[in-house]
Amino acid sequence: MNSDRVRSAADGDADAMQVVMIGLGDEKFALDAGTVREIIDPIPATKVAGAKAFVPGVINVRGNVIPFADLRIRFGMPVLSHTADSRIVVIEVRIDNEPVLVGVSADRVYEVTEISRTDVQQTPRVGMHWRPEYIRFITKWRDEFVVVPNMERILN
Amino acid sequence: MTTIDPAAVFRQEAAELFEVLEAALLDLGQNPDDRELVDSAFRALHTIKGSGAMFGFDKVASFTHEFETAFERVRKGEIKPTQDLVSVALAAKDYIRALIETPDETDTIIGDAILADLSRFVSPAEAVEAAVSSPVSSPASTPMSERRQVGWHLRFEFDAQILRNGSNPLDLLDDLSKLGSCFATPLTDGIPFLDELVPEDCYLKWDVSLHSDCDKAAIDDVFMFVVDEMQLVLEPLFEGEAPQPVPMLDLPEVSIVPPEPPQVAEPTTPAPQPAAAAAPAVERRSGEPRRADDRGIATVRVQAERLDELMDRVGELVIAQARLSQLAASGNDISIKLIAEEIERLASSLRDTTMGARMVPIGSLFGRFRRLVHDLSRDLSKPVEFVTSGEDTELDKTMIECLADPLVHLIRNAIDHGIEPPAARAAAGKPEQGRIELAAVHAGAQVLVTVKDNGGGLNTARIRAKAEEQGLIAPGASATDQEIHQFLFHPGFSTAQTISALSGRGVGMDVVKRTIENMRGSIDLSTVTGESTTITLRLPLTLAIIEGLLIRVGSGRYIIPLSAVEECVELTAEDERSRSRNFLNVRGNLVPFLRLRDVFDADGEPDQHQKTIIISTGETRVGLVADQIIGNHQTVIKSLSKLHSNVTIFSGATILGDGTAALILDVVQLVALAQAQAEKQMSEAA
Repeated sequence: MNSDRVRSAADGDADAMQVVMIGLGDEKFALDAGTVREIIDPIPATKVAGAKAFVPGVINVRGNVIPFADLRIRFGMPVLSHTADSRIVVIEVRIDNEPVLVGVSADRVYEVTEISRTDVQQTPRVGMHWRPEYIRFITKWRDEFVVVPNMERILN
Repeated sequence: MTTIDPAAVFRQEAAELFEVLEAALLDLGQNPDDRELVDSAFRALHTIKGSGAMFGFDKVASFTHEFETAFERVRKGEIKPTQDLVSVALAAKDYIRALIETPDETDTIIGDAILADLSRFVSPAEAVEAAVSSPVSSPASTPMSERRQVGWHLRFEFDAQILRNGSNPLDLLDDLSKLGSCFATPLTDGIPFLDELVPEDCYLKWDVSLHSDCDKAAIDDVFMFVVDEMQLVLEPLFEGEAPQPVPMLDLPEVSIVPPEPPQVAEPTTPAPQPAAAAAPAVERRSGEPRRADDRGIATVRVQAERLDELMDRVGELVIAQARLSQLAASGNDISIKLIAEEIERLASSLRDTTMGARMVPIGSLFGRFRRLVHDLSRDLSKPVEFVTSGEDTELDKTMIECLADPLVHLIRNAIDHGIEPPAARAAAGKPEQGRIELAAVHAGAQVLVTVKDNGGGLNTARIRAKAEEQGLIAPGASATDQEIHQFLFHPGFSTAQTISALSGRGVGMDVVKRTIENMRGSIDLSTVTGESTTITLRLPLTLAIIEGLLIRVGSGRYIIPLSAVEECVELTAEDERSRSRNFLNVRGNLVPFLRLRDVFDADGEPDQHQKTIIISTGETRVGLVADQIIGNHQTVIKSLSKLHSNVTIFSGATILGDGTAALILDVVQLVALAQAQAEKQMSEAA
């Protein structure tokens, strides 16, 4: 976890980090803005039989067929149907050292903002309903706790 | 023209010429009498020499020249190419390649040694010393003559078009005169009347007496670049035979002014008739037939990336066209429908053309292995006959490149492990010479590439022992031979008792398997103990666009590669009722079938009239039961990402007319699935 923080701090402004704030269920997640390629309206995903549960299908984004990941399944959160606020956030993650585009479901997208690393909280070992290795760190934003997920680990 | 480094172009061209040269030399080893092969080797050498000099690869040019000179007697048919000679020639070829590719790291000592070897084979008596003595100027072939040779008598004429190619005969005459004092006479009998004269053609011939102690090769060098476009008769000039050069000042003015070139710089006099008359009939040099003859088909060199880009664009066009067709079909506008059909036709032919441009016959790949087999067979002292077939089979260029390494591994294994040493073969009652067959054939939607050796076959017991030792299988556990052979593809698995430089390190077979699977292909392995081992690579025909059959299963739509589809039949009510057995009766043949609804875990109610699509891979036929057959679809294959690498029944995805993604079925995997299921049913029934 420490090495992650050092690396991320090195490529941005010392303590600030540009993120895209998304909501999943009642939680807020901050995705590193540098990895976000685009945000699109929800489109029907094509089911892939036999795929891992959290990547249930593929979608067509500008002529590319990319996997569609549902973080709610990965985090054990209830999967609700689309609302007017639902979006798909297309991010680029490295899998086996190759860049892969992945569409990630979001119940809503708030804004692009900066979070400060000085507010970083230790990831609590208890009281969390997801596995600690999925989390890069937890920080505070407008008096709310937000999770910065480790997308590489979540998707691998 | 773009700014392409001419040296790079030369390297590329040379690489192709080396392939030609190597193939010719290897063939020559087997058919020493084939004059055509000698000539083709010489042509390749000659072009390398010529372009090498042109692009500043002087070492290449001079060595190639030496090589050519030493080989001259082979070309004249005075000596036959032996296996040893071929080996030396191959070494020389490698050396020239090294000179071109890594000139700074290549020592000319190697070249001298090769030449020494070469000349020893070519002329055991005289040549060793001659070849070593001078790496730059070649050994003079002194004719055994009583009269003293004082120079050469040349008679040459050029093709009429020579001036258009930018060659200037006058420069050549200048070059000749640098070799010694020259006595040049233009022969003007070829010049037509003025009204028939084409100013751009060259009508002049020359008759030159050259007083010089230079050798024939020096003269050949002068004409190096135009040798294909001229006829040259070269004879030794003996003392007192031809006129001595006349001092410049005494020259009379030439009475007939040659029209082209307008100015003749060389001293000219009326032709010395006796010498010209004595000249033998002009013969075209046998070694270099006109190069224009070889260019039956005009080709353009295109960078592979551009082809890939073109393929991507065509892919997008095909997707857009599919959407247009769908839109047109849903409306009533007849004119839009016409245009949509027109565009569909155009897009499909454009696709075929683009695909065709990417297809390369696999023969170019096979050619590379002949050298490998030749060298391995020599190094391991196992005589091996290498037989290839199906060189014309075409495969996507990218796949040909990907196939090279796996095939090298397989062929090495076949020679090193497969073929037994000659003594063992003799003991087993087999011919001492082993045999490796490399073949490519089309089979439905696939290309099968097989490597077959007639060696001892796989030692199943030893593979099993090794697998047990490595903990891959429990001792005593039951496994079929097929399953045990699969351990060969396990990383780090090797049964070779001694590790040779060639194989036995256990890296290789797993890499082979992975490479083939990355191409959406598969590997079969079969063996007959004591007789043969056959490895079959099953490869898809293409990587980019296929013709597909669009079907619906539940609410999902899927593509079946059309080339795998044999026929479509309706699932009869009787078939439908008997859910216990999954066999169809197709004209008396039992065909197992898979219910895709079950395989894909489809939602919704099954369609009342289920359809069965019969697919085949090679000899096996399997039915796939779907809810609906929608129709043809031009399918641009998009690979699935690593996140879906665990899904094997789909080979990729494509984009449909309405913009949604559809999955492409992997026929081979489905057939395997159906067969496994059928076998299970059989064994349950039994």
